[in-house]
Parts: sequence; C-alpha cells; structure tokens
Amino acid sequence: MAEELLKKEETDETEELLEEDTQKGMFMTFQTGKEFFGISISYVNEIIAMQPIAAIPEVDDYIKGLINLRGKIIPVIDVRVRFKLEPCEYTDRTCIIVIDVKSTMIGLIVERLADVDTIAEDSIVPPPSLGRKEHEHNKYVYGLARTGDTVTLLLDPEKLIKQDDIAAAMEDIRKEEQS
Amino acid sequence: MAEEFNTDSMLDMFLYESGQLLEKLEGIILEKQDADCFDDTDINEIFRVMHTIKGSSGVLMYENITKVTHKLEDVFYYLRESHPDDVPHMELVEKVLAVSDFVTGELDKLKSGDTPDGDEKQLVEELDEFLSRLKGEIKKQGIEMPQANRHVEPTQFYITPVAGDDSHFYRISIHYRSDTQMSNLRAYSATYALKEVAEDLLYTPDDILSNEASADVIVAEGFHMLLQTKSSKEEVISLIDSSEAEEINFDELTKEEYGSALGEFGREEAAPAAAPAAAAKDEAKETKPDKPKPGDYVVKTKEAGKGKTLAKNQPKQQSIISVNVEKMDSLMDLIGELVIAEAVVLQNPDLKVPGLELSNFQKASGQLSKITTELQEVIMSMRMMPLTNVFQKMRRIVFDVSRKLGKDIELEVIGENTEVDKNIIEHITDPLMHLVRNSVDHGIEENAEDRTAVGKPAKGKITLEAKNEGGKVYISVKDDGKGLNKDKLYQKALEKGVIENKPMSEFTDKEIFRFITLPGFSTKEEVTEYSGRGVGMDVVVKNIQTISGRLDITSVEFEGSEMTLVIPLTLAIINGIVVQVGNSPFVIETASIKEFVRVGEDSLIHEPSGEEYIVLRGECYPFIRLNEKYDLPDSVDKIEEGIIVVLEHEGSQVCVLIDKLLQEQEIVVKPIPSYVRKVKGLSGCTQLGDGSIALILDIAGLLMHDGERR
Repeated sequence: MAEELLKKEETDETEELLEEDTQKGMFMTFQTGKEFFGISISYVNEIIAMQPIAAIPEVDDYIKGLINLRGKIIPVIDVRVRFKLEPCEYTDRTCIIVIDVKSTMIGLIVERLADVDTIAEDSIVPPPSLGRKEHEHNKYVYGLARTGDTVTLLLDPEKLIKQDDIAAAMEDIRKEEQS
Repeated sequence: MAEEFNTDSMLDMFLYESGQLLEKLEGIILEKQDADCFDDTDINEIFRVMHTIKGSSGVLMYENITKVTHKLEDVFYYLRESHPDDVPHMELVEKVLAVSDFVTGELDKLKSGDTPDGDEKQLVEELDEFLSRLKGEIKKQGIEMPQANRHVEPTQFYITPVAGDDSHFYRISIHYRSDTQMSNLRAYSATYALKEVAEDLLYTPDDILSNEASADVIVAEGFHMLLQTKSSKEEVISLIDSSEAEEINFDELTKEEYGSALGEFGREEAAPAAAPAAAAKDEAKETKPDKPKPGDYVVKTKEAGKGKTLAKNQPKQQSIISVNVEKMDSLMDLIGELVIAEAVVLQNPDLKVPGLELSNFQKASGQLSKITTELQEVIMSMRMMPLTNVFQKMRRIVFDVSRKLGKDIELEVIGENTEVDKNIIEHITDPLMHLVRNSVDHGIEENAEDRTAVGKPAKGKITLEAKNEGGKVYISVKDDGKGLNKDKLYQKALEKGVIENKPMSEFTDKEIFRFITLPGFSTKEEVTEYSGRGVGMDVVVKNIQTISGRLDITSVEFEGSEMTLVIPLTLAIINGIVVQVGNSPFVIETASIKEFVRVGEDSLIHEPSGEEYIVLRGECYPFIRLNEKYDLPDSVDKIEEGIIVVLEHEGSQVCVLIDKLLQEQEIVVKPIPSYVRKVKGLSGCTQLGDGSIALILDIAGLLMHDGERR
C-alpha cells in the first residue's frame, strides 16, 4: 500500500508541475471602463454568469454580498467599486470570475471579459511609481504589460482582496475560538 | 484535498484506528473496574488491542509507543497464559489506564503535527516491576509460568498465505556452537528478523521463547525454519544474525517440496490449542520436556504493512467505515443542490404550456422527488452519532477523580445510545466533563459519615442520563450529594456585587442557582486540582450557548443537584421562518419566536434620544427596525404595514419590524464566509428552495447589539 501511495504522490507532483508550466505567463484579462486588467490564470477557478446576490449589511461597499456556487456560499466583490470607480449597471456581459486565493474563494464582478493572453515575463514592467505613491492603485497593480495596442494592468489578487481583510477575518475567528 | 489525504493516509489510519482501539480499551477497563478481575474475553481483547497498536506504531517507527504497548502486552500475555489467581485488580486497571493515557498523549502530539517524544522509560519500568511481582507471587506457589510473550495466539488455526508467483521457498537450518548461551533467544531473534520479510514462517522447535529447555534442543539438533518470502536468498541471509552460528544450511525449495515440508513441521496437526496447556503441565512436573514436537503454531506474517493489520480488524468493524468529514459536507451540499435542481426541473415554466400531456412525466417526477427526499434523510442520519464515546470519557473522569479524592462513587449511565449530531458532540464534551467533575468534587460529600448521617447510603451516586425529547436532547448529570445552599449562594452574590442588595426573596430558586454560572463565582473555599477556581461554569454556559443550548439547574439541599444540558439535535438544520425585509430574505429560528403581531402607531413609544419601544399588553419591549439597522432599501416604514415579531432569548425579549412572512421551512445552516467580517446579529446563512441566499438572524447578537447601543 505504501508503494502505491508513493507512486500516487509522484504522479500528482508531476501533474502539478505540468499544470503550472502550461499556465505560466497566462493571464485572464478583463475590461473595466477603458482599462484592461489581468489576473494570473493560476488563481482563477472558473467564470460564471452574473447571479442574484444576497447583500450583507454592515460591510465595506465593495463587498456586494454572497452568491451560491453549487451549494458553496462565497462572497463577491465588485472590482469597479474596489478601484474606487463609479459602479456600473450589471448587464448580461457582466460576469463573475471565481478566484481562489490561499484557499479563500471569492468572486470578482467584472464588466466584461476580454481574453486569455500569454504575457512573456520580460514584457512586464513595474508600474511607474512617480507621483502615484498615494494612489490606492499601487497596492494591487504589480505590473504593466503591453499586448497589441493595449496596456494591461496586472493585478495581484492577494492584495486585491486586501490582505488586512483576511487578516481581520482570521483575527475575528481566532477571537471567537478563544471565547 | 485528495492529495493531502493520500500523503498522510498511513498516519491518519494509524491515528484513527489506534484512537478507536484505545476507546474500546477504556470501555472494557471501566466496565470491569469494579469487578474483581478481567475475564478471558477481556484479557484477550486487551491483548489484541495492545498487539495491534504495537504493530502499527512499529511500522511507523514510533518507538516509545511500541515499547509501552509491548510491555503491557507482555503483562496480559502472562495473565492469559497463566491465569494467576490473586492479581491486584485495581493496580492492573491503573496500569492499563496509564498506558492508555500515555499512548493517547502521544497520538495527540502526532495529531498536532509534533513528534511523539514522551518518555516511556518510567512506565516501562513500572510495568516490568508489576509483571515480575505478578510472576514472583505465582512462583511462591510453585507453579511455573511461560516466560514471555510469544507474539502468537496459540489457539488460532493456520491458513497458509497464498503464495504469489514470485514467492521463494527456503528451508533454513541453523546449528549453533555447542557452547552458545541462550540459543533459543538467538533463534528467536532470527525468526523475528525474518518475520519482516516473511509471507509465511514455520520453525521447530516451536516453543523457543516459552521453554528454556528448547535451548538445549536447538544446540543439539539445530534450529529449523521454513520460509516463504518474496525476498531473494541474499536478502534473507543478511537478515539472519550468524555470529554464534556454526553452520547455516540454506536450501531453496520448489512449491511442491515446500508443501510436503510443511508436513514435517506439523502443519497438518490442526489441534494446537492443547499444546501450551500440555507444555505447562510438563513443566510443572519438572520433567524434561519431550523432544519438541513439530511446530504447533506459526508466526503470522504481520507487520508487513498497515493494510494487513487493517484486514485483520475487519471482521470486528465490518459495518463501519470512516469518512472524511469534508467529503460528507460536500455530499450534503450536493444533495442540497440536487433538491433545488429538481425543483427547477419539475416546476419549469416550459411545462406550463397549456395542452401538454404530462401524465408520464408526473409519474416519473413523483418517483424522483421520493428518492431525493430519502437521500436527504439518509445524509442527515449519517451525521448522527451515539453519545457512547462521550459517556465513556465521563466514566473515566468519575473513576479518576473519585479515586484521587478518596470518595466512593457509583456512576449510572442511562441512554448512552442517544444520537446527536457530530458537531454537537464535539461541543458538549468539555462542558459535560466539567459538570461531571463538579459533581464528583463538590456535589458528593467529603466523608461517607456525612452521608450516612442524613440517611443516605455511604456510596455516592452520580447519574448520567441522555434522552431525546421534542427535537431536543437532554443530558443530565445528577448527584445525590449535598446540593446547593441557597443562602450561601446569595451571600456570595452579594459579596461579589452581582446583585444590588436586593433581598433574597426577590429571586426565584432558579435564579439563585444560576449565580453559579457567573464568571469568577465559586462557593468552594479552597481550590482543588479539579475545581473551585470559579472559572468553569461560566465557560460551560458559554459553550452550550454557542450551540444554542442551555443549562438548567435544579437542586435540593442535602438531597443532591441536577444539571441538565438542553441542546438541539443538530446544528446543521434548524426549523426557521423566512421573512422578508426590503428585498432581502432573513431566517429566524422558529424556537426563538414568541409571537407575530400587528400593532398601530399608538403602541409605539418614542424616546427623545431616538430609542423606540413597543407596548404590548402593558409590557414594554425594545424595538429594532431591521431595515434601519441594516440599511435595507425599499422596505416598509410604517409600523401598521409591517409585522412585529417578538423574539425571546434567555428570558429577554425584543421586537423586530419586518415586511412580511414568506414561509416556514427546515433550513441547512451554513457559515458566512470568513472573508466577510462578522456582522453582529447574523449567525449564518442558508439557501432557500429557489437557490437564493438568506441570512440567519442571531437573536442573542441582536439583543447584545441593542444593549451596547444603549
């Protein structure tokens, strides 16, 4: 049995490696306003159509509420509101990208999906920092990439869902456990 | 998830299995704690448990566990073989419990990812000492006894392991030098080494460990083994310690030769049970044992892997498989989805086209609904577990604490088969433990004289009872001890300043008893190892409240007290009423709703500060507008148009304004994802029949929030 296990582990590992390889440099891009954004595809679990959202009271405005993903209840955040842009009407092009960040599942509401692009690592440049330091943007845009005529802003999902949110959540849980 | 499970599955299996075995062990021990001795079945069972744990911990290289269990196995082996008469039963029980505790401790370390590094030496020494004392006593009576664990159960009948195509067969004969000391032990170490690789191993003389005289035989005639293995000749040779050997003969046999050789080793004798007894008799007569009879028993090929140990256990645990809870949960989620999907199909608008002939469809869909309903029931029942294990822990506590405190206490357990949701069991174990400990420590009188003086039997009695009534489970801990002293409690409460000098007559008995659940409240003058620090009862109550249960206390001074935990059957499903405020549905647990009323503006009292109250039948209640509190648009503002729900929790009430009632249904409670910060007044969320999500109102949270605001 032990040998079997070992073998299984090995294949798992190689599979993982392969998967990582094919996903490397691939980005899911979406459009919000005029700008294009990209998220590394390794974070993306799936894309679903807009769904009815159950609002939760007393939370930050960009947390739109909860959706039911095949029995799993996950929070969704509106990327536009997160970027401090005016919220827009949801249309049938609006969709939800379900991402998995450190095993927290979160839905991102985006205006419209663009494409899945391969972006070479050397074409990614860090965002110009001059005079933008005070901007919120700096936090979760970690790089710019030029694809064709457009510039894609690459997002760091971990920062996008805001670390301190998770930290605070963990804190709350911890407190609860103690009490 | 799958990968995680696989990587650690050996360890997981070990932990799970050993845990189960230890529980079983404690069960046996505590059941027999008051008996004078263990009967044969128990001894065999304990022996088997120790043997299995030893085997599997050996495979996983947890040496300290192996050593300790091995020692206890020795003790029980001795008990089983020699049936000594005057075993100090209580001491034996303590030894077994000590080992069980040790192993449990090590398993806990493993569970939390640490290495099991507990020091086994002391325990091993104690066991050694105990065993030799046992033997010593017997010796005085002039009866010989077998010396050590043979690793074999003599009464088993042998079934030849199926030889694979790649199995080799060897006949190995070892001749030791004539001056070799303890050649039987050397032979034993050879068989022990070979067991690692053996599929089958026979040897003669067979009683090398139990019979010292076999050493002479081995020196004179050599030690012969028959081995069936997958290993090559070289591997086998390397395993045998050849230091004292004069000559090792090593013949490879064919399968047929092997079969006939088995005969020489006495395999066809299928009545080995008589042998040890006969041998013992021989020894007692001080006669030289006969020429060793060809092997009456064989070493089973164990320890080759976890799988085999498991297979051995199968017959006993056949009807139970362990399933990862996550898998269960996802199965439950999926079944929930299935029910919703079913509704979507069966009530599909496409079916509403007039003039459709649907009778076959209706029949089929009826069948489908039946199956899904049943599925739901089954999955719910799978989460239910009997309280047996929890109660067993309580037995252990009563046993330990009462012995340490020197009180004579009898524990009666009623209804341990009552089934409760698994999550709830996890939550009640600690509180229950505390209550039981309290009963033993505080409840029962210090001295038996105090008891007999008031006409009670000298032996204290604690009753642990569980019953299932009206969707709730009642678990009570009842003692016939001194009971609670109301005056003392009242005085203490005054001192602590928890009551503002109100006279005692203003409190009901229940209220006074409830003082003991306040933080820092202990009437016990001195702190003992077990209780008296006043942390505890408040924690008990808090823990019980988190699973929406409560603690009832009744007590009569000098007659005893009874603490009853009232808990819901399951956490996962509650009976709720779905209401709507604005566009959002909310769920309120049915049990906490007192009534629904419509009132007019005239029942509303406005305070200058903005607070509002509602007067109902002359009583004044705090009032919460959910739409304002949670900032919900499009909702009813006028009190006449909405509905007032009167909610009750722990004796305090609150009125909540909602728009309308939607339905009553059983709902599956799910936590709000941790990413979303905790919102006061919401305890979770759920899916409604149409797949939409409703938030569950937490009455305690609402009340608390309201209190803080004031």
